[in-house]
Amino acid sequence: MRNVKNIRTVLLETVKHQTCLSLAILVTVVGAVVSALLPPLLLAKIVDDLTSGVAASLGNVVLYFGLLALTGLLESARESLLTVFGQKITHGLRSRMMEKLTRLTSGALAVRDPGELAARFVGDVDTVENLFSAGIISMFADLCKIVSILAVLSRKNPGLCLVLLCLLPVLFAFTRYVQKNMLKAQLENRRAVGRASAFVPQTLHNIRTIHALGKERYMCARYDCFIGQSYGAMEKTNFYDAIYSPIILILNALMVGIVMLLSATGDASVLRVFGMSAGTAVAVIGYISQIFTPVESLGMEIQAIQSAMAGVRRIDEILAEPERSMPPETTEPVSGAAAAELRNVTFGYDEKDVLQNVSLRVEAGEQVTLAGRTGAGKSTVLKLLLGLYPPKAGQALLFGIPAEKIPEGDKRYLIGYVEQSFHMVPGTVREQITLYDDRITEAQVRKAAELVGLLKTIEALDKGFDTPCAPELFSQGQWQLLSIARAAVTDPKLLLLDEITANLDAETEHMVLEALNRVSENRTVISISHRASARTGRIVTVTPQA
Amino acid sequence: MRDKTFRPDRVKDYFLAEWKVLLFVTASGLIYNIGLLAGPWFEGKMTGELVDILTGSGTMKRMAVLALCYVVTVLIVQGSRYFKRFYVRRFANNVSRRMKQILYAKLVTRSRESLTAEGAGSVMTKAISDVDDCVEGMRKFTTELFDTGVALLAYGCMLLCYDWRLALICMVFPPISYAAAEKLKRVVQKTGERGKEQAAALNAATLDRARNALTYRVFGREEDRRLAYEQNLDSYESAAIRANVWNTAMTPIYRSIALLGVPFLVWFGQKNVTGTGWSSWDIAAFTTFLACFTKLAKKASSAAKLFNAVHKAQVSWRRVKPILAGQEEELPESVTPEAPATLNVENLCFAYPGAEELLHDVSFSAKPGQIIGVTGPVACGKSTLGKAFLCELPYSGSITFAGQEDRELTKEQRSAVFGYLGHDPELLSASVKENICMGDTKDPMPYLRAVRLDREVAEMELGLDTLVGPEGHRLSGGQAQRLALARTLYHKRPVLILDDPFSALDRPTEKQIFASLREIAGDSIVLLISHRLYLFPEFDQVLWMEAGRVTAGTHEELLQKLPEYAALMAEQEGGKVHA
Repeated sequence: MRNVKNIRTVLLETVKHQTCLSLAILVTVVGAVVSALLPPLLLAKIVDDLTSGVAASLGNVVLYFGLLALTGLLESARESLLTVFGQKITHGLRSRMMEKLTRLTSGALAVRDPGELAARFVGDVDTVENLFSAGIISMFADLCKIVSILAVLSRKNPGLCLVLLCLLPVLFAFTRYVQKNMLKAQLENRRAVGRASAFVPQTLHNIRTIHALGKERYMCARYDCFIGQSYGAMEKTNFYDAIYSPIILILNALMVGIVMLLSATGDASVLRVFGMSAGTAVAVIGYISQIFTPVESLGMEIQAIQSAMAGVRRIDEILAEPERSMPPETTEPVSGAAAAELRNVTFGYDEKDVLQNVSLRVEAGEQVTLAGRTGAGKSTVLKLLLGLYPPKAGQALLFGIPAEKIPEGDKRYLIGYVEQSFHMVPGTVREQITLYDDRITEAQVRKAAELVGLLKTIEALDKGFDTPCAPELFSQGQWQLLSIARAAVTDPKLLLLDEITANLDAETEHMVLEALNRVSENRTVISISHRASARTGRIVTVTPQA
Repeated sequence: MRDKTFRPDRVKDYFLAEWKVLLFVTASGLIYNIGLLAGPWFEGKMTGELVDILTGSGTMKRMAVLALCYVVTVLIVQGSRYFKRFYVRRFANNVSRRMKQILYAKLVTRSRESLTAEGAGSVMTKAISDVDDCVEGMRKFTTELFDTGVALLAYGCMLLCYDWRLALICMVFPPISYAAAEKLKRVVQKTGERGKEQAAALNAATLDRARNALTYRVFGREEDRRLAYEQNLDSYESAAIRANVWNTAMTPIYRSIALLGVPFLVWFGQKNVTGTGWSSWDIAAFTTFLACFTKLAKKASSAAKLFNAVHKAQVSWRRVKPILAGQEEELPESVTPEAPATLNVENLCFAYPGAEELLHDVSFSAKPGQIIGVTGPVACGKSTLGKAFLCELPYSGSITFAGQEDRELTKEQRSAVFGYLGHDPELLSASVKENICMGDTKDPMPYLRAVRLDREVAEMELGLDTLVGPEGHRLSGGQAQRLALARTLYHKRPVLILDDPFSALDRPTEKQIFASLREIAGDSIVLLISHRLYLFPEFDQVLWMEAGRVTAGTHEELLQKLPEYAALMAEQEGGKVHA
């Protein structure tokens, strides 16, 4: 299960896990194809019987409808099963991707744009589902349909079968030609539509200049020009769209006409391949019109597969990214170790080192402030102690354990981290503090809120701690206080305080610093701060690497 | 071109306005849909002829004539179909274009204040995108009117002609199928909504995990959040399956219900053929009837589409309609600048609604050709003074140009007097040339030279035709500023208000541009608002603003009279200016 390197393995896994489902899909796909073949054959028999003056039995009549209904049922079942299967695939894929996300290196996470990353989870995975249900499986079904119709025709009217065999490749080429041109025109249209819709906010933005220069007429003309471009492209699509099926249907009629004519010749050699009874003629007319639809679908499926491939590549790219080494489930405590220690640490985010051979020892109960210029590596020291990055050389130890080896479950109880800015998570006020951690009791939450001075504010809310959070619920300073409560709620032994970047007014800043001072009491604290009124303790200067 | 009776908020009027295209659509639509009957009829006839040939009574010639007629008829019918499809879409495009033009004209002529207030701008933006849904509904309605309405009618009539009793029996079932679909629509909608809700929840959870990944990692919450995400996936999966199954899987079933008439048809139809039924049929009639009914059943099961499209369009239309109401906007003709004249400002006061007064009793006057510097400490009201001339909000006191009060001018008259360039260069996402000329034909080169941008533009990949990107993002700040200045000079007005046009430029460039500004401005009055003073000694007049009050005079006068001005001057001459 681990180390899934690409989509293919996930797909195979899903097929393997859903054996019954996969088999059922195969049965319904083939079943629908076969059952669609039968009604025309039965009808042929009924018509032939009728021509020779024999009325069809009630059984045959009911069977005829039964087969039509069966086709409908099988198609319906196929669609349902495909939906289920597609969902299983997307579920599996998203699970694997989420697993991968927890294993990505912190560096890879830091550089990724969250919106773009989320788009891969949502949009790209959907295209993969599409690739499967609208692409590969439908393609299989359509191919089956074509082959089976040809097979039946080869028995009923071999001449027609031969003609179709020659005609179908040409038809397919024509279909692809039309579809490709349509796609091109559609893309062009989409670009033009994009320009036109971007023009509206642009107008709003530039409205002062437009009014001042009296350019309303010009702007309208320009807007109309964009719409015109879009319609030019759309007319092209319309042309192909409007011309395609008439041509197919004319071809269809031509085939029927030719077959009818040939079967009407008295010539024995022609009749050997084209001869048929009236019943067969009815069936053949039905088959001819059935064979054109899958050809058209085949083209669309190729297109679906092509456009899904880009999504597949993007997902594979994520699944192939390097992974961090995961922390173990438990570790042995080390006695007599310092609360935090850097031992000859060298580290850089890329080739360039930010820290070179840095050593630092913070004893339990000590309060240390990291000082140094911007870019000197103060935040980097914190990140190493948080275990986000493994050092290139040397060791970053917390209570004697390498920081990146601290088990997930112990983390909050060893270190509390107050981030530069508050990261709101979706959920209630309580969940902002607990981060959905069930181990944290109600009493702990209240205590933390009280410690940072937010208890009264929160209790004054409509639903107290159960109020759902939205950015406007609290002021910037209050969010920062909540961030402190989040770090302190588990009563960690060591607190890491990053510089708070939010723009706070003097009074709020005072509140935040007070709260920081309160939570720092009787705890080991390492902080980065320029603020004068914070308790600094020992000052360690971090010097930048040239 | 604009007729007075056209009311943009009446759907009917759009149909009327496009009557020529719709006439085409109607003619070709009728030919196509009625002609559709010819297919099954000929197919039946040919089958009948084949029977005759096999029994020895038919001839190959008759078959050849039938086959030829068949192919030609299909050619005509399908040809009309092509025209119908093409022109229905053209109709939709024309309507959509017209609606968008009207909406856009309303947007572009609305005042800046009303657009920024109450999100009116975004309402208009939304309305423009609603147009697409509306028109899509109108298109589908027109299409389905023929493809479903006329076709069903034609097929129905044909069936009734062949055997009205049998036709009535068979045609009971398509409405039942339709009713079943209607009945289940609620379920489809409900599951669909739930599916959408779950999709939104999953999206939110995904974004949360992506955005807060490092926070969760630092607090050791990753594994827990992963498990929670698994739950999101589970509930999304079941909701999505339900929604999709109800949506897609039912269609074949409805079709089967609509086809329930088939066994009756075959049973009673063959009685007709064998001569024991209600009507007397040959084989041709039998197969034609069957083919017609199958097509009718298929069409009927798509009738629901018509109503859905119309319903969706109605929802969008309700949002668009109030905005479309009223007369179409008259767009102002292109502006001819007024002749130079004197500008008088007396006791000008201004305040934003509900805020403190920003300008108090400002008075000064300027003669044609004068360049006036406006300066003062941060937030002294100098930018507000510049904007006051645009009359976006009412002022008290008086601003007169050539004796005419600013607030009494029409919008067109005002834009013939005042040229304005604010902090934001407000560039279009268009070429360099377009940004300067904005549709006018005069040569832009002299103006590019005047703002010292000519050489840089020449070095750009496409020269004057280089695209500057959205909001001019592909240009540097200084380039964007100079381009906007070139645009303002190109559209010269007797009063030019330039708010800090040189802020992103270095001092030598500023000096050079100022020299050409003086030359190009000629008889115009230039009000140059700036926080950098080294050009001020060359100005004809200087306005010093502090807390909304103005002291006017020449540079020398102010140096003597105002120690603040002298101090600021000295400080900047000392070279402590931030570039």
